Amino acid sequence: MSEDYSIYHLPNGIRLLFLNTDKFKTISMGLFIHCDLDRETAALNALLPSVLEQGCRLYPDNLTLQRKLENLFGAELSTDIIKNGERHIIAFGLEAAHGRFTGENGHLMKDSMTILGNVIKDPLLEDGAFRQSYVKQEKNQLIKDIKALLNDKSAYAVEKCLSAMCAGEKYGVYKLGRIEDYDLISAEDLYQHYQEVLKENPIDLYVIGDLNENEVFETASSIFSFSREKTACPLSPAEIGHQVKEVRVIEEQMTVNQAKMVLGFRTSIPFNDQLFCALLVYSGVLGGFPHSKLFMKVREEAGLAYYIHTRLERHKGLMLIAAGINAADQKNVQEIIKAQMTEMLSGAITDAELDNTKRGLVNQLLSRQDNPSQLIAFHLDGVAGGVDYSFDQLIRGIESTDIDRIRMVAEKITLDTAYLLKPREGEVVQDDN
Amino acid sequence: MTISHVLIENHALQESLYHYRIEPGFDLYILPRPGYRKKYAIFSTRFGSVDNSFRVEPEQDYTELPDGVAHFLEHKLFEDEQGNVFNRFAELGASANAFTSFTQTSYLFSATTNFEESLGELLRFVQEPYFTKETVAKEQGIIGQEIKMYEDHPHWRVFFNLLESLYRVHPVRNDIAGTVESIAQITPELLYRCYNTFYHPSNMAIFIVGDLEPQRVAEQVEADIKSRGHGQIGQIIRNYPDEPDNVMKEKVVQELVVSEPIFYLGFKDVVAGRLTGNELMRREILMELVLDIIFGTSERLYNDLYRDNLIDEGFGFEYSAENNYAYTMIGGETRDPDLLYEQVMKAIDDTRRNGITEEQFERHRRKILGGYIRRFNSLEFIANNFLAYRFRDSDMFELPRILQEVSREETLALAAENLNISRHALSIITPSTDG
Repeated sequence: MSEDYSIYHLPNGIRLLFLNTDKFKTISMGLFIHCDLDRETAALNALLPSVLEQGCRLYPDNLTLQRKLENLFGAELSTDIIKNGERHIIAFGLEAAHGRFTGENGHLMKDSMTILGNVIKDPLLEDGAFRQSYVKQEKNQLIKDIKALLNDKSAYAVEKCLSAMCAGEKYGVYKLGRIEDYDLISAEDLYQHYQEVLKENPIDLYVIGDLNENEVFETASSIFSFSREKTACPLSPAEIGHQVKEVRVIEEQMTVNQAKMVLGFRTSIPFNDQLFCALLVYSGVLGGFPHSKLFMKVREEAGLAYYIHTRLERHKGLMLIAAGINAADQKNVQEIIKAQMTEMLSGAITDAELDNTKRGLVNQLLSRQDNPSQLIAFHLDGVAGGVDYSFDQLIRGIESTDIDRIRMVAEKITLDTAYLLKPREGEVVQDDN
Repeated sequence: MTISHVLIENHALQESLYHYRIEPGFDLYILPRPGYRKKYAIFSTRFGSVDNSFRVEPEQDYTELPDGVAHFLEHKLFEDEQGNVFNRFAELGASANAFTSFTQTSYLFSATTNFEESLGELLRFVQEPYFTKETVAKEQGIIGQEIKMYEDHPHWRVFFNLLESLYRVHPVRNDIAGTVESIAQITPELLYRCYNTFYHPSNMAIFIVGDLEPQRVAEQVEADIKSRGHGQIGQIIRNYPDEPDNVMKEKVVQELVVSEPIFYLGFKDVVAGRLTGNELMRREILMELVLDIIFGTSERLYNDLYRDNLIDEGFGFEYSAENNYAYTMIGGETRDPDLLYEQVMKAIDDTRRNGITEEQFERHRRKILGGYIRRFNSLEFIANNFLAYRFRDSDMFELPRILQEVSREETLALAAENLNISRHALSIITPSTDG
């Protein structure tokens, strides 16, 4: 379905991707500024969407902006900072109920895009910089967000494993940067940085809904008309080739009940590699589904975990195995994992395991077409990975994967970092296994 | 074979819903959604964690359950004599799951191929229980892990700590999964007793949505249900304790490894529990308006609190209303729970005193309507919520109509009645010194 986007270039080089469909009850828009992930700019990039969302020249504070959106039948403006491999993407989104359900006056697309445009291109300025108080406020919020990672122990464990594993690489940079980075940022620096990325970095604008194509193009051209460099700055692909010398083992103690184990592997398979689809199948057979080897062996047969699954960082060629376990069972669990990975290597995969995984992956892919933000995220993945896979291409690639190709993947997979978050010694109240 | 149906047209949403009644007393709903790749089905029973004391007419004695049975039963239905049910959905390329709430247990799948076979599998595994001593013992270990996982989940803990404070005796104060001790009391016999009661078709319903032909799907479901020879059962009488109006305690504090205190403020609703059907839904809509008008992102309070770094974007509120309990919750992460408490209580008071403007009321009404329509993009949202409303004897599709009916005066009156300081409790998680 990604083939169905009509693609235009606005006069200033912004790419417009329009998907005309009456399937949804909404119109959805997303604007994405693509940047390289970098220690120097991570906090700056993360701050930008947060500060811009606070208000623009026309709607100078959140209260005014939100009231404007509410009158557009609760249109929702959202911002985000996305880490996609070694890309850092500044994201803005707007979703509104389609006018045919609200009896709205027919200007909804234009009104919505105008708000989005104002937030992005016409920020609230004071003395040639973003408003100081907004910058200060959003710095506080983001520092709080960085600290709040601790509140979700599973996510915390994953992030700790990844950052240790990729400490010397760009990928090791957290998407919100570091707390100390924020101290140094002034409202002037931030605005200066914004002017640069807005002018130089690649920008994609997605629009999905039951709309007139010509009108979308005309409206986008007139709203996003600010001047830009003729050619956008080139971005680098993620570095994949890191060699593992020895396995890094990390244990961290905390006052928790359940231990979280995260194993980080290098696959050495980039997003645009011939083995990419085989990697999807490998990860699926091993731990992507409730029928997968790890779920069946560790949870269903041994009763040693509530959750255990694999997860791919597809743009960086990494695979993780994450599990919530009793700390005392760590050795047992690791042995089962090792045995299952040995089976993958020797090709001991049943027809059912292989076929069910392929069907499950295809089902997931097709299901993404039923959700506008998933449709956008799918295409965005391709942009960040440097190859615009269509749904059909991926489906064919998954379906044609055989055991030989899975073994080729298995041979490349190397354990890099083993991380365990465990309860403080002597603090485990009881052990029910 | 053709079975009759009622076609419910909804103009506001531009949807056509097919309703079939299948003997003995089973409801089937089908909503065609042309163009969607995915088809989604959910099979639900009115059996949740609060249903832990019941009898079936003409029995006189109540069966009392340990906490966590509904959730335990949900887990156990996924295992039968041939093994794991997930595997059979996997063979069909479908994705299956289940969840247990306070008031219902639901089994579901979504599929982009093999829909009929997947539906057949859903009907089969939910209607063919298989519980043994061995499988029950193994599940006690797995659910023990799940309970432990939630003990480390600050937002889950702050939520249940609040319910434990708001309610003195009602079982909504107990964790849905129960405790390691309570699930240790579960036996195969107990599971069969609950199964035979609550999984009778007259206590269940199915909602199916996707690009499909309603009549054909209905015939498949009817043939399956009828083939199982379900008899009639007596009416299920659920026994809920008389919950006093006042709360258990006004404040509860727990220490956990968190970056910042978490604040949840709750108000016990003592009226909603007596309402059903559209009356209950009307109250829900009014409360959504009340809460959005006081605490929403477009109002003064939210923006002042945000500016003062007392809340973040995670600050939110929820009103939850069932047939025998209801409550309001407001909260999020904060640097200063005491100061936030003061400001929130003051804002409630100010709204009562100063009223709501017509502009405010209309603006929030528009927002709620738009938000509701937007959620209709999601097949899961439609199916899950339709049945949840249906089990409270209300019709989710009536929301736009009722939303247009309610008035500003009613909204204001409810703010005064329902956010009552004499029925409130505060739950706080404070950071432990652990680094």
